[in-house]
Amino acid sequence: MQKYRFKILLIVVSVALAVYFLIPTYQDYQIQKDLHARTGADSLAFLNDNEADIRDARAKRIKLGLDLQGGMRVVMEVNVLKLIEDLAKNKDDVFAQILTQVREQSRTSDESPVLMLRRGFEERQIRMSRYYGSLRDDNDRVFDYLDGEATKAIDRAIEIVRNRVDQYGVSEPAIQKLGGNRIIVELPGVTRETEVRQLLQGTALLEFKLLKEPEIAYRVMEAIDKAVAADTAATKDTLFALAADTTAADTSSIETPEGELSPEEFKRKHPFFAVAIVNPQQFPGEALVADENRGRVRRILDREDVRRVIPNDVEFLWSAKPRFVDEGKRYFTLYPVKASPELTGGVIVNARATIDPGFNAPIVTMEMNSEGSRDWARITGANVNKRVAIVMDDAVFSAPVVRNKIIGGSSQIEGMDNMEEARLLEIVLKAGALPAPVQIIEQRSVGPSLGEDSIRKGLTSALIATGITMFFMMIYYRTGGMVASVALIFCLLFLLAVLAAFKGTLTLPGIAGIILTLAVAVDANVLIYERIREELATGKTPRAALDAGYDKAFSAIFDSNLTTFITGVILYQFGTGPVQGFALTLMIGIAASMFSAIFITRVIFYVLTDRYSAGVNFG
Amino acid sequence: MRLFGSTHIDFMGKRRYAYLFSAVIILAGIVSLVVKGVTVGIDFLGGTELIVQFQEPVEIGDVRNAMTSIGFGRAEIKTFGSDQDIVIRTSTIELEGGGAVGDRLREGLTAAYPTNPFEVLKEDKIGPKIGAELRRDAIYAVIASLVAIWLYIGFRFKFVYGLGAVAALTHDVLLTLGMISIFDGVLNLEFDQNMVAAFLTIVGLSVNDTVVIFDRIRENQKIHKTMDLEGLMNRSINETLSRTIITMSTITAVLLVLLILGGEVNRGFAFALVVGISTGTYSTIYIASAVVLEWVNRSRSKGKLIE
Repeated sequence: MQKYRFKILLIVVSVALAVYFLIPTYQDYQIQKDLHARTGADSLAFLNDNEADIRDARAKRIKLGLDLQGGMRVVMEVNVLKLIEDLAKNKDDVFAQILTQVREQSRTSDESPVLMLRRGFEERQIRMSRYYGSLRDDNDRVFDYLDGEATKAIDRAIEIVRNRVDQYGVSEPAIQKLGGNRIIVELPGVTRETEVRQLLQGTALLEFKLLKEPEIAYRVMEAIDKAVAADTAATKDTLFALAADTTAADTSSIETPEGELSPEEFKRKHPFFAVAIVNPQQFPGEALVADENRGRVRRILDREDVRRVIPNDVEFLWSAKPRFVDEGKRYFTLYPVKASPELTGGVIVNARATIDPGFNAPIVTMEMNSEGSRDWARITGANVNKRVAIVMDDAVFSAPVVRNKIIGGSSQIEGMDNMEEARLLEIVLKAGALPAPVQIIEQRSVGPSLGEDSIRKGLTSALIATGITMFFMMIYYRTGGMVASVALIFCLLFLLAVLAAFKGTLTLPGIAGIILTLAVAVDANVLIYERIREELATGKTPRAALDAGYDKAFSAIFDSNLTTFITGVILYQFGTGPVQGFALTLMIGIAASMFSAIFITRVIFYVLTDRYSAGVNFG
Repeated sequence: MRLFGSTHIDFMGKRRYAYLFSAVIILAGIVSLVVKGVTVGIDFLGGTELIVQFQEPVEIGDVRNAMTSIGFGRAEIKTFGSDQDIVIRTSTIELEGGGAVGDRLREGLTAAYPTNPFEVLKEDKIGPKIGAELRRDAIYAVIASLVAIWLYIGFRFKFVYGLGAVAALTHDVLLTLGMISIFDGVLNLEFDQNMVAAFLTIVGLSVNDTVVIFDRIRENQKIHKTMDLEGLMNRSINETLSRTIITMSTITAVLLVLLILGGEVNRGFAFALVVGISTGTYSTIYIASAVVLEWVNRSRSKGKLIE
């Protein structure tokens, strides 16, 4: 014993450390069990009494991945391109061309959009200062400016997303920047995915826009209708011409009174009004579009020839919600509004979700700062009896008629389906608008029951696998097998402790990694024991065979474990989420197994051979 | 207990049969890959995947009808472990008129099964850009690990040994890929990120085996200086045979536990590993060592000495 004092001390210290790091995980498990056993007021009291302990244990326990505890993982991309576009002045066709090119490139490339923009300019030998900064600035300077703005926008976006998540109330959310312009949000325990999407994705840009007067609105829509009809008629004419023998019938005449048209004819002659229904009596100054036709209307409005007939100060916005449902079809409203907003959400200082007592419907009331209040009073005063659309992220929530001048800067948003939605709106209004739009590019959610199921199955398989391995080792290698089993338990202990100490995350593939580690750990012992058996067969003393076995097996164990470790490192580099969890447990497991299977077992054998040399048996 | 005494099997002498065996299996796998392919998960394709659990069992045909009625007739629909669990997969994430595909799918299911409520077990949406990136990263990861292993083995042993190891690994990866394609449909396998993790693990564990035998060859070279390489290899493989088989059996036993009890999520992973580990053991003997032997024999006959 004396001779191995330091080695034994090293083992005892490492085991003690491992136990120390695992205590919070055990405590957390006990607390959860206690909580499950209690109900109602009792569990609340329990939470209050042990708050500090609970929080402490939670913070230091082994973190479970979203696949095990349920929750959502969202990857968002900040649309830097939109920001660049918004920052530019004197935009012209050349600029639009470059921007389109960069947009195409960014679909497949991770490169910074600012860098791609610069390349686009340099390829055409155009100075960037034509659109940004002052004329004397060289490209480097403009680039730095844009790059700085982009970085600022991303950091600000992360801050706002964090604000929103905090107010939404998620325990232990993780919000990180990923690469140049991505944000990862991990929300354990949250699975209401529609809500989270609303919470995260909206830029929360609130705008107050004046509706176009009904007469102007009609004139614009008629122009659109004519443009589309003329185009289809033109195609038809050419078709007729090609078919030769064109009859004298003039198909492009629109002057025919509408009352005489059959539905098919109407559809052909008024392609726009066929899908965007107008009803001047009931819904003045707007159009109604069935859900199924929204795609088509959007495409019509996007057409080059149609855009030319829409005046510059007019834009079309959709209602956030269907206006009504008729025969199973949901109808949305299309509002022609004045393009430049009268007022934006920057002036909002407070928002509150509440129930409108008059209509018993959820609303969000807003308060404005003094400057905003002044502007609001002026705007409402000048537009009495006109309609103002309350627009959030380009969707119209309501378009009330201004009855009289509003003093004091109060306003409200209507048109939410339920109180939950109103509350989400309150949160995003309070947290502020995002500097650039964000887009969800990856979203994974795991329900809590699948997570529980995964934990149960994972742990059961791990336990059974450990049991089988130990049983086999003990039968095959007798004393050696027993020692290897002890080492296996140490190995598991170290693995979990390292995971807890370095705040690694345990995922379902991570559990698979643990199971695999068992196999690798046992392999080290098999290599050593087979070697010892060979050495014993040559007639060596047990002690000499032991030394020779360990020494000769070492290079094989080391080399083979290192190659497995290398693949672990690569997997950790390239993998995401759960797969990284696998790589992590595999790497920790290899290190832990080297220590336990080589070092610990050797010390145990030394002590054993010193005491009962006849008792050590390798089967 | 001992299962193997000292053996004197002429492994290397039979290597030509092994070449034939490997060639046939890999060819069968490649044919299956070309004809049938593998089910690629949405990790790599992009799209929406919804896994729901109904309270009562449902018929796949009914679910398909429900999906067709909301315009998702081309969605992939299958069960996930039991009759109550259904996977629905589409290649898009956004509806044409705006809004999420996942929401529409859930609405459609609620409407079709008003009396049989369901719970969402899992919902994944992968944008096309992410899918392409994950695909690229997976390929990089496999290539990077092969190169790293080549370098490491080449450095610790000799260049030609690294070549043998990488040839064996490539053999294992190809063979396992083929097997996944052949057994796809029987076992509900799917090529996703977990599968890539499985492949890299196969690479890691298979080279583990190879290193043990190479290590023994290196050691025996020092002891039996006059023995030819073929004899050395046979001797080394025989000496480590007991270890090879015991380790392989324990790993396989452990993986079978994972395959049977580990749940739907770990199934493909465990299957790939079971196939990969078995072929890994075989390829260590017949591909890694054999490639080294052929290379050395050929260089000798050309009058060059590699050792």
